[in-house]
Amino acid sequence: MKSGFLQIALGIITSIGGFLEVGSIATSAQAGASFRYGLIWSLVLGTVCLIFLIEMSGRLAAVSKHTIADAVRERFGFNFALWPRLAELIVNFLVLGAEIGGVCLGLKVLTGIEARWWAVPVALVLWFALWVGTLDVIENGTSILGLLTIVFVVAAVKMHPDWLPLLRGSAAPVLPPRDQSAHYWFTAVSILGATISPFMFYFYSSGAVEDGWNEKNLPANRVTAVVGMSFGALMSIGVLVAAAQLFNPRGIDISRYEQIALILTPALHKWGWPVFGGALAVCCFGAAVEISLASAYAIAQTLGWNWGEDEKPAERARFSLTYTILIFLSIVPILLGVDPLKQTIFSMALTAIVLPLAILPFLLLLNDEEFVGSHRNGPIGNTVVVFTIFMASIIALVAVPLEILGGGS
Amino acid sequence: MTQPSHARHLVADILDKQIVDAKKVKLGKVDGLVIVLREGKPPRVAFIECGAAVVARRLGRWCERFVLALNRRLGVRAKPRYRIPWSKVTKVDIEVTVDVDEHPLLAWEEWLRDHVVGRLPFAK
Repeated sequence: MKSGFLQIALGIITSIGGFLEVGSIATSAQAGASFRYGLIWSLVLGTVCLIFLIEMSGRLAAVSKHTIADAVRERFGFNFALWPRLAELIVNFLVLGAEIGGVCLGLKVLTGIEARWWAVPVALVLWFALWVGTLDVIENGTSILGLLTIVFVVAAVKMHPDWLPLLRGSAAPVLPPRDQSAHYWFTAVSILGATISPFMFYFYSSGAVEDGWNEKNLPANRVTAVVGMSFGALMSIGVLVAAAQLFNPRGIDISRYEQIALILTPALHKWGWPVFGGALAVCCFGAAVEISLASAYAIAQTLGWNWGEDEKPAERARFSLTYTILIFLSIVPILLGVDPLKQTIFSMALTAIVLPLAILPFLLLLNDEEFVGSHRNGPIGNTVVVFTIFMASIIALVAVPLEILGGGS
Repeated sequence: MTQPSHARHLVADILDKQIVDAKKVKLGKVDGLVIVLREGKPPRVAFIECGAAVVARRLGRWCERFVLALNRRLGVRAKPRYRIPWSKVTKVDIEVTVDVDEHPLLAWEEWLRDHVVGRLPFAK
């Protein structure tokens, strides 16, 4: 069993890989550019919901020794478990493509070589890292590299934000003029989708089962959820504020990733551009690792295959082949020339729409004595999560069609 | 008639659990149960069933027919339906532990290991 410190490392990697990724960077930067501080509340709300959900997935794993995918199949049966799995597989495929696209764009910023040319090398490196790496190496490597993302907060502070309006935007919606409200709510949904990513729960609970957690890990699990996710949220708020400072006064909306790459320049000058490229590549790579593993975990656990990142691929043939196929299929849209920013924003909104399907069964498990015994959810946790998810999907069902009809961003 | 509730408990407790062998190798999930109804006595589980055709049947006959046809075409696993006698079940807790030596259930795993994954570099 791991020490408390290493357990928190799992939380930080889940956070860096799962939180600050291409989706959060893109949606936060868009929100800051278009609506200044007016959408920080959606990041805060999403993070509070995420903290509860991450804590719950760790608790389920520690008490019941089941991963979420195992528990959903056991409790609700195969016929039910199949649908969230299929929906997530489609979403994960798109999100993984977006993350690999994010790594490619980071490399483009660093080298000037067109993003499309990076897709195959990046997919090969990602596959190879999973193929030969153990969970420890992957967790620690990404955690350390991910600390680079602190530059977003440093940059935001150096750009002298107005603290009072910033706090106001964190607490409640600051509505834009009427003609922009469809785009405002669509962006809010994308932020919620980018923040509450179901793959994080599968990754975290599988890691917890693989590391053999028990009830003694519960206090550390709580700390991990709060600290890890707040860390990720802070970095995303950094991106949003930096984009707000740079673009909003000039009335510039973000339509290309290259624009986002400018957000560090006012604070870091000539280093801003390459540091952004490096930070983008690192956090998208971390997220790509996490999504590939989470998808393979969820499929293997639903079908009862042997799974685990610490064994040799040949010993886990079906599991290893699953992430291999997923990684190489996911780069097809990039190779076909799909716009990476559009794919990112679209897949984040799609995540928000499928959230209830992924989360509701898992919420029921956390209230089921057979699985969590006396460690059931309290009323606050249940309320926060149910409220956020329903709100996210209702806004999504309204805002997504409006955004598409309105011609999109 | 206490049988129905008894049978329901069985389904809730065993169906869809993970099956492992004595060495903790995961063999699959409990995809189905074969229950023998007996006159005047509670029903008894005769077999646990696993395999693609068993879960496919739970989705519908069309799905089962599709899986059977696919299985004939691919021919990796001899039987798309595999039954483990209840007498081989040694323990039921988080997982269902069974005492079986040969594992036709791992046919796909082994085929992929020998023909695909094992042939890639650094796989072993």
